Amino acid sequence: MSRTGKALLIVVPLAAGAAVAVKRRRAGTPVSRRNHVVTVYRPLSELESAPLPGTLKEIADETEISMRPAPGDRGTEIAVHIPEGSNVSDGDVRRALRETRSLLEAGDVLLPSGPPATETTALNRPLQAATRHGREGGLL
Amino acid sequence: MKALQWQGVNKLSVGTVPDPELRNPGDVIVKVTRTVTCGSDLHLIGGYIPFMEKGDVLGHEFLGEVVEVGPDVRNHRVGDRVVVSSFISCGNCWYCDQKLYSLCDNGNTNPVITETLWGQAPGGCFGYSHAMGGNAGSHAEYIRVPFADVGAFTVPEGVSDERALFASDSAATGWMGADLGGVKPGDVVAVWGAGAVGQMAARAAVLLGADRVIVIDRLDNRLRQVEQHIGAETINYESTDVAGELRERSGGRGPDVCIEAVGMEAHAPGPQFGYDQIKQQLRLQTDRPIAVREAIHACRKGGSVFVLGVYAGFVDKFPLGALMNKGLTVRGAQMHGQRYIPMLLDRMAKGEVTTEHLATHVMPLDQAPEGYRMFKDKKDDCVRAVFVP
Ligand SMILES: NC(=O)c1ccc[n+]([C@@H]2O[C@H](COP(=O)([O-])OP(=O)(O)OC[C@H]3O[C@@H](n4cnc5c(N)ncnc54)[C@H](O)[C@@H]3O)[C@@H](O)[C@H]2O)c1
Ligand SMILES: [Zn+2]
Ligand SMILES: [Zn+2]
Repeated sequence: MSRTGKALLIVVPLAAGAAVAVKRRRAGTPVSRRNHVVTVYRPLSELESAPLPGTLKEIADETEISMRPAPGDRGTEIAVHIPEGSNVSDGDVRRALRETRSLLEAGDVLLPSGPPATETTALNRPLQAATRHGREGGLL
Repeated sequence: MKALQWQGVNKLSVGTVPDPELRNPGDVIVKVTRTVTCGSDLHLIGGYIPFMEKGDVLGHEFLGEVVEVGPDVRNHRVGDRVVVSSFISCGNCWYCDQKLYSLCDNGNTNPVITETLWGQAPGGCFGYSHAMGGNAGSHAEYIRVPFADVGAFTVPEGVSDERALFASDSAATGWMGADLGGVKPGDVVAVWGAGAVGQMAARAAVLLGADRVIVIDRLDNRLRQVEQHIGAETINYESTDVAGELRERSGGRGPDVCIEAVGMEAHAPGPQFGYDQIKQQLRLQTDRPIAVREAIHACRKGGSVFVLGVYAGFVDKFPLGALMNKGLTVRGAQMHGQRYIPMLLDRMAKGEVTTEHLATHVMPLDQAPEGYRMFKDKKDDCVRAVFVP
């Protein structure tokens, strides 16, 4: 743990952004990993009564989607598995799960504020690259 | 429009940026009439939270007038005078339903950064770096407010702009510390930090029925404000042994609830400060947890410590032994503004919560860089600098 602290703070998200880029390039090759899962605060019966909305619908043909009730009245767990040979990347799935959750819960998907007040400088560029794919990265 | 922009570590300037646009149907555009510095901004300005881009607009505690309304907005109309929660929340996810609004699942467009850092992503905030959504801040003539039905509140007639402004962030934050810290009638409550947040936490503790409320700082003008406007006792940590004094004033038990309202740039007399400052500068820790350490050590057995001060990453010499063996409850949060703002506006109307004294410096937005300099260096007894765009 010699390089914790701010160095780590800076490195982590940029690495996360880079990871997104790498995974995108590898789409099409099998990524053997666990399922991506989110909990949506809507009852299972409601989600089963109509096709899932938003980005999740767009990747439904290339993925395996399953749902089950979340314990403790927390809504519904939606799990996505990327089968071998699928063209869908982990980043695509994370973004789809987050956007569809927001659509189901809040009726909308928040867009970043704009137009931007920032410029593209050498220092801004890495952070801008990471946040352009803000819903694709992370641990989900 | 005119806006205060972050140009690099400790570099601020007022520049011209594009006017904000409605992006989602639940948005409103607010013409900002008052916007204020917050201790949290200092952590951004100083580069302690390194997710700022050159050009970002700062500010998250504000009040204004609705000038444009998205098609899905139900609770607001053009012309409404509104105060807005600094955190952006959808109002419909599980966290919002639990009234843990700053933890909203749908309020941050960039969950990548905080989820990677902390395991899970909290919600978004205005003017608080790209880790918190990269939302344009309020130190500007106009601001876009998403989920306006959830986060914007019409200010009642009888409450002045000067007072209502602080419901946006500092008063709601302080109230949360006392409320979720579990303050009850009969408690002895200690608050570290006599900035706006600490003062509001102390006021909340008084109103929640605490028997004694004691605020700790080194700045005499702030401690005087606590005695005059908040109705609490004070300790100057530069001239008094804080631990001994707290023990004495709480019958040897230690305070029941300890609220930390200092944050990651805490200061201390003596060698501890040098140790933490050097470790922070060498990047061996991101944050200086001086007041948190002291709070955990002072707290009575089985008591509760609430961390309101902002921390970003890792701290050193965290007294886990005291926490565990004394059976403490330690909790923290970014503010759940939507939970407290309506109640606070009510109390402001009744005169139970007053905040005018916090606005020690009121100036045009053009002077915001100077306002931040005074606020940062606590010059001229500055407690908060309020900008009028
Ligand atoms: N949790 C939230 O949602 C939230 C919201 C707003 C602000 N904050 C945080 O609350 C903290 C306080 O905000 P503020 O606007 O009042 O800031 P401020 O800078 O005006 O006040 C901080 C005060 O702490 C005092 N202090 C420094 N070291 C101390 C120590 N060791 N012991 C006692 N006091 C000490 C300073 O003298 C100063 O008066 C900041 O960290 C800010 O980021 C959190
Ligand atoms: Zn704040
Ligand atoms: Zn929410």
